[in-house]
Amino acid sequence: MADGLEPLFAGLKILDFTRALAGPTCTRMFAEMGADVIKVESAPDGELARRMSKIRNERSLYYIQQNLGKQSFCVNLRDPRGVELVKELIPHMDVVVENFKPGRLASMGLGYDVLKELKEDIILCSISAMGQSGPLAEKPGYDYIAQAYAGVTSMIGDPNDAPSIPLLGIGDASTGVHGAFAVLAAIYHRDRTGRGQHLDVALLDAYYHCHEVNVHQYSGSYGEMKPTRGGRHMSYVCPAGVFRANGGDIMIMGFLHHFKDLCAAMGRPELATQEGWTTDQERLANLDEVIELVETWLSTFPSHEDAISKMEEFGVPVAPILTVEETINHPHLRHRGTVRTITDRIAGEFDIPGMPIKYSDYPEDLELEAATLGEHNGQIVTDLLHHSEEELSQLRADGILNEGEN
Amino acid sequence: MANPSNALFSGLRILDLTRAVAGPTCTRMFSELGAEVIKIEAFPDGDLVRHVSKIRNERSLYFVQHNIGKKSFCVDVRNPKGMQLVKDLVPHVDVVVQNFKPGVMANMGLGYDDLMELKEDIILCSISSLGQSGQLAKKPGYDMIAQSYAGVTSMVGDPDEAPCFPQLAIGDVSTGVMGAFSVLAALYHRDRTGEGQHLDVSILDTYYNSHEASIHQYSGSNGEIEPNRTGRHMNYLAPAGVFKANGGYITIMSFLHHWKDLCAAMNRPELAEDERLGTDEGRLENLDEVIEIIETWLQSFPDRDSAMDKLDEFGVPAGPVLTIAETVAHPHLRERGTVRTINDRIAGEFDIPGLPPKFSKFPDLPTLDAPTLGEHNAEIVTDLLGRSDEELAALREAGIIKEKNV
Repeated sequence: MADGLEPLFAGLKILDFTRALAGPTCTRMFAEMGADVIKVESAPDGELARRMSKIRNERSLYYIQQNLGKQSFCVNLRDPRGVELVKELIPHMDVVVENFKPGRLASMGLGYDVLKELKEDIILCSISAMGQSGPLAEKPGYDYIAQAYAGVTSMIGDPNDAPSIPLLGIGDASTGVHGAFAVLAAIYHRDRTGRGQHLDVALLDAYYHCHEVNVHQYSGSYGEMKPTRGGRHMSYVCPAGVFRANGGDIMIMGFLHHFKDLCAAMGRPELATQEGWTTDQERLANLDEVIELVETWLSTFPSHEDAISKMEEFGVPVAPILTVEETINHPHLRHRGTVRTITDRIAGEFDIPGMPIKYSDYPEDLELEAATLGEHNGQIVTDLLHHSEEELSQLRADGILNEGEN
Repeated sequence: MANPSNALFSGLRILDLTRAVAGPTCTRMFSELGAEVIKIEAFPDGDLVRHVSKIRNERSLYFVQHNIGKKSFCVDVRNPKGMQLVKDLVPHVDVVVQNFKPGVMANMGLGYDDLMELKEDIILCSISSLGQSGQLAKKPGYDMIAQSYAGVTSMVGDPDEAPCFPQLAIGDVSTGVMGAFSVLAALYHRDRTGEGQHLDVSILDTYYNSHEASIHQYSGSNGEIEPNRTGRHMNYLAPAGVFKANGGYITIMSFLHHWKDLCAAMNRPELAEDERLGTDEGRLENLDEVIEIIETWLQSFPDRDSAMDKLDEFGVPAGPVLTIAETVAHPHLRERGTVRTINDRIAGEFDIPGLPPKFSKFPDLPTLDAPTLGEHNAEIVTDLLGRSDEELAALREAGIIKEKNV
C-alpha cells in the first residue's frame, strides 16, 4: 500500500447477516480491502461455518478463510432486545447484506421497509439461491440445487451417464462477487442521487449468466441444437478438452487457428490442410478419430510434462491438469498470491486462496484476522451504541449476547 | 442509439478493448445499466465472436448476447492515424478495459503509463487468463487453461477416470464480473482520492477463489486430506449429489438436519435414527447403500417430476437437473428474467441469460441493441473527437475505419 494511503474501503460500514459461502464471499471483498464489516452471528453458537470442514485447535479454517477482517457481533435475534440492538446499529451503516431464506429478514422485523425508516438511504443486498420471489423462491437453497435448476449440472460429465458435480463452490463464489458488484453499483448510484436501494442477487441467475452459448444456440436454432454435456471435450470447437498422456492429463485448446500449430508440434503439418480436418466442424464430426490421433501422439512421450513442453514450443495453448496439491506449490500461483499463507492466532499457519483482484495502489494484503465468536460485542455495544457497562453485563447475563473462544 | 440519461451508470464512459467473453462480460455489466461503452473492434472483421456459434442472417447471436448496449468503433490500430484516434479517445473516458495477452497493450503504446499521460486519473482494468506477470503470464490463455492451472478441472468428474469439465464459460463470465467489481472499486477510490489505478484480474484467480474448502483442507491437514473429484456425490456430506430417477436426474442435498425429512418422504422414518445411516459420517461410509436406497425409491415414481413433487412436499432440498431446453421454458426462470427474450434488429428474436443482479430502482433494463460492425464510427470521429466530415470520409477511403451491417 502506498505510504499514507488509507485502505480502499476505509470508512465503509457494512452490517453482515450472511452465513456459509455466497454471502460471506460478498462481504469479504469489502472486509479484505478495509471496510468495517460487522458480522451478526446468532447466539449462542454463532455461524455454522465455525463448526465445518477442517478444525484445528477448535478453530474452523473454513470460517477463517471466509471471514478475515470482519468483526463478530454475536446476538440473540429471537429475543426482541437482540433485534432492538441490531436496529440501533442500522443508522450507523451504509449497507446491509443478508442471505436468509426470502422473507426471513422481514419476519424478524428487519425487512427493507423497516431498514429504510431507520436509515433512508440504506442499501440492502439480499442473496439467495433462487431469488426473492417467484414459484421457487421458497425452496431450501444450496449451490448444487440452483446449479441443477440453471441447467448447469446437465452440462457436466458423461453424456451417456448421470451428470457430475464440480467439488467446489463455484456458484456460491461467483454469486458473492455478483453481490459485491451490485453493492458497489448501488453505492455509485447513492453517491450521485442520495438514494438507497434493495438488491436481489441469486445463485440461479449467476449460474445462468455463465451460459455463453447454450441458451442462444438452443433458442437461435429453434430447438434443433440441444446443448448437453460432452464429457471431456467441448461441443462447438475441436480439438478442445482433456487428453490423456503418460502420468497425467492435459488440457489442449487446439481449435481454430491453433490447429495448425498443434499439427506442426505433432510433426504432421499436412493435416492442417487435409480434407476432413481443416475446420472445427469437420473435426467435431470425427471427434473419436481426432482424440485417438492426439492421444496416440501424446503417449509417445515418457511423461505428460514433456508433451506439454513440446506443444508450448509451438505456441499451442495447453495446461497440465493440476491437482489441488500441485497448485499450492506452483511457483506462478505463489508469485501472484493466487494462493497465500496466512497465520491465525489460534489455528496457526495454513494456505487459502488469495484476494482475486490485484489493485495497483494496494499491492499488499492488509494484516487482518478472523474474529472469535462475539469478539466485538463489547466494543459495539458500548463504543458504537453508547450503552453502559452495566447494560452490557446485563445483556450478557440474559443471553442476549454471547462470546466464545474460537 | 442514444444512451439512456436516467440509468444507473448514465454519464460513465468506458473504452472497451476486449473481445470474446471474459472482457465483454465485464463491460456489458456497465452497458446494460446505461454506461456508454465504446468497443474498439479489430480491423477489418471485428470481434472474433462475430464469426462463431449460431449465426442468423449473418448476425452472430454470440456477439449480440455479449455486446448489448455497446457502441462499435472499428478502426485499424496498426495504422498510426487509427491508433491516434484511439489515443484521442482516452481523455474522454473514465475507464479502459482490455483483455489482450499481457504486454500487448504496452507494445501498442497503450500501457498503463502511456494511458496515465493521456489522462492522469485513468482507471485501467486488465483481464487475462493467468495474470499480468509471473512465469505463466505469456501463455495463450483460455477459460479451460486457467481452470486446469487452478486445480478446478481436477475436481470434476469420475475419480477413476480422466476429469471432465462443465460445458459453459463459468471461468470467463465469473472473471468478467470480478473485473466489473474491480472497476467499481477503483471508481469508488477515485471519487474519494482523485486517483486512478491499474487492476489485474485473471481467470486463474477467480477460479481459485472458488475453492471454499480444498486449499485449507489440504494445507490444514498437512497434506493428509488430498482433495480430488468424486463424480456425482460430495465427499464430506451425504447424501449430497446427483441421483437417477425415471427419465431424468435429481440433485438432492439431504445431509445434516435434512436427512430426517428425506426419510419421512421415503416413508422410512426409522432410517433417521439408524445406527449406521443416521449420521453424515455413517452415510459417507455406506454411500453405495444410501445411493441405492434413494435411487430405488426415486425410480418407483413414473417420472422425475412426480418424485420432485414428493420431495418438495416434505421440504427436502432438491432440484431437477434441468436441460437447457427445460430452463428456457421454466416459469420461475422466465418470471425472474433469469432467461429473457431479446429482439435483435437483424437476427430477430431469441433467448439469452438475463442480467444478474436485480436493482429495485431499475426494475426494467433499458431496451438496447448490440451494434453492427463500426456502427458508431461516424459519431465517435465527428461528435466525440471533433473531426470534420471530410476527415471522416478520408479515414474511410484510406481503409482506416470500416463499417459492415452485421
